[in-house]
Amino acid sequence: MIELHRVSKVFSVGPVKVPALSDVSFRIGKGEFAVLCGPSGAGKTTLLRLLYRDEVPSGGRIDVADYNVGALPRSRVPELRRAMGIVFQDVKLLPARTVYENIAFVLRVLGTPRAEITPRAFAALKAVGLSARAQAYPAQLSQGEAQRVALARAIVKEPALLLADEPTGNLDEGIASELFDLLKDIWSRGTTVLLATHQAALAERLNRRTLVFHGGRLVKDAR
Amino acid sequence: MLGFLCGEALRDLVRAGWIALSSVLLIALSLLTLGGFWVFSTNLGGAVARWREQLRIIVYLKTEPSPAAAGALGQRIRAAGDVAQVRYVSKAEALQTLRRQLGAQAAVADTLPQNPLPASFEVTLAETASTPEATRALVERLAALPEVEEVQGGTEWMERLTQLQRLLGLVGLGVGGVLGLAAILTVTTATTLVLHARREELDIMRLVGAPEAVIRLPLLLQGIGQGLLGALLALLGLVGAYRLVRPRLEPLVTLTLGLPHTAFLSPTAVATLLVSGALLGGVGGWLAKGRA
Ligand SMILES: Nc1ncnc2c1ncn2[C@@H]1O[C@H](COP(=O)(O)OP(=O)(O)OP(=O)(O)O)[C@@H](O)[C@H]1O
Ligand SMILES: [Mg+2]
Repeated sequence: MIELHRVSKVFSVGPVKVPALSDVSFRIGKGEFAVLCGPSGAGKTTLLRLLYRDEVPSGGRIDVADYNVGALPRSRVPELRRAMGIVFQDVKLLPARTVYENIAFVLRVLGTPRAEITPRAFAALKAVGLSARAQAYPAQLSQGEAQRVALARAIVKEPALLLADEPTGNLDEGIASELFDLLKDIWSRGTTVLLATHQAALAERLNRRTLVFHGGRLVKDAR
Repeated sequence: MLGFLCGEALRDLVRAGWIALSSVLLIALSLLTLGGFWVFSTNLGGAVARWREQLRIIVYLKTEPSPAAAGALGQRIRAAGDVAQVRYVSKAEALQTLRRQLGAQAAVADTLPQNPLPASFEVTLAETASTPEATRALVERLAALPEVEEVQGGTEWMERLTQLQRLLGLVGLGVGGVLGLAAILTVTTATTLVLHARREELDIMRLVGAPEAVIRLPLLLQGIGQGLLGALLALLGLVGAYRLVRPRLEPLVTLTLGLPHTAFLSPTAVATLLVSGALLGGVGGWLAKGRA
């Protein structure tokens, strides 16, 4: 599903070069659940952004599904992204639309037939346990609820691959582990899941393959 | 999907608010100017065409030819090009006409020692001579014939009228063009505003893999919407003004220009105005994408 070969990423901030990832290689199979772990600034978000082609690698090769991501022409990027669901570290819910509209919006811009939109949006909300908040606006949600809406929006298009960047951001342990359980549910129904988190203790309790990053390097890959 | 795209476009229009309204008004103003000049020009053109139909060139001959020679000369005049009809008027016929015109005073003509009127040809112009340049060229060609004394055909005033018509058209295009440019810029500004207001949505659309067309079409549509709205407004204004002015102006027009009645824009012209509006708005909306 995902294969990285000697991938590196250097950001240029004016004359300063910031190495975010160095010489990263690993492989994640179809249907796997893997955790990207590491302290803040380790390069987790950067790695995910490379996977959905928000950035291009400075070196090395990335394959996701059948796509050579780094060399993918701009016109085919939407195709790659349609195959994956993404939970963003900064959530990115649209403040002017309700929870339901935020989720339906994704289906609508992807051209889903009208009749399917409402049932699928509600099914996604139900999966994260938020059917009751469908008509609320993002500002009226707690942090944990907002994170779950973001997750519902990522899974509503039934992607083969789910990328989740700190979906438990500032949540306390109890709520965070509930969210991790949700991710496991989604994974158990066949979705490949890649979860980035700095909450090492929680990640360990998940008992899944863990890739530990430090300073942009992959320092540990444990099953 | 189409419903969704149009809905988004409508949302955008509302979001751009006052700026969108001012671009609609600017488009209306530029098309109103263009349309107004167009109506003027159409009517003036109608008058010119009508006069041309009635226009005759009189070719006066040095001496009266024999009937056979007259026939041959008539053929040569016809061959000069741009000629629809040629009629020979002999000296006798000319005098006859004069007598008829004098009526009660016809006896005066009898006191003349000899017929002072020259023989002539009455030449009616063909459609192909519809420009002043073609008419003038024909007059010159006829005057060059050795048998011809003088050619009379007052085309100067018509040339001036045609020039006025052209000038009106140019001024209309110029003013309309400048206003149209301003309108495009305003639509672009309105659309850029929309882009900023929608930045988050556009980001999400791109990140979930929406096709680029879905992202851009609403922007284009709201621009076209502004343009069409402006064009409709301009048409309403034109029709209103025409209705208002026509009863007062028509008698005057009939008197001075000889037109039985004034004309409004043809359906083609109306369609052209609408399409121009949509184009102005569309270009404005499309230009904004580049800046975003
Ligand atoms: N757009 C950018 N421009 C310059 N430097 C960047 C950019 N994005 C990330 N970096 C740098 O790359 C390094 C890795 O950042 P990244 O966001 O990937 O870390 P992270 O592991 O996701 O951290 P966190 O747990 O805080 O989210 C950091 O040093 C960061 O400053
Ligand atoms: Mg991060």
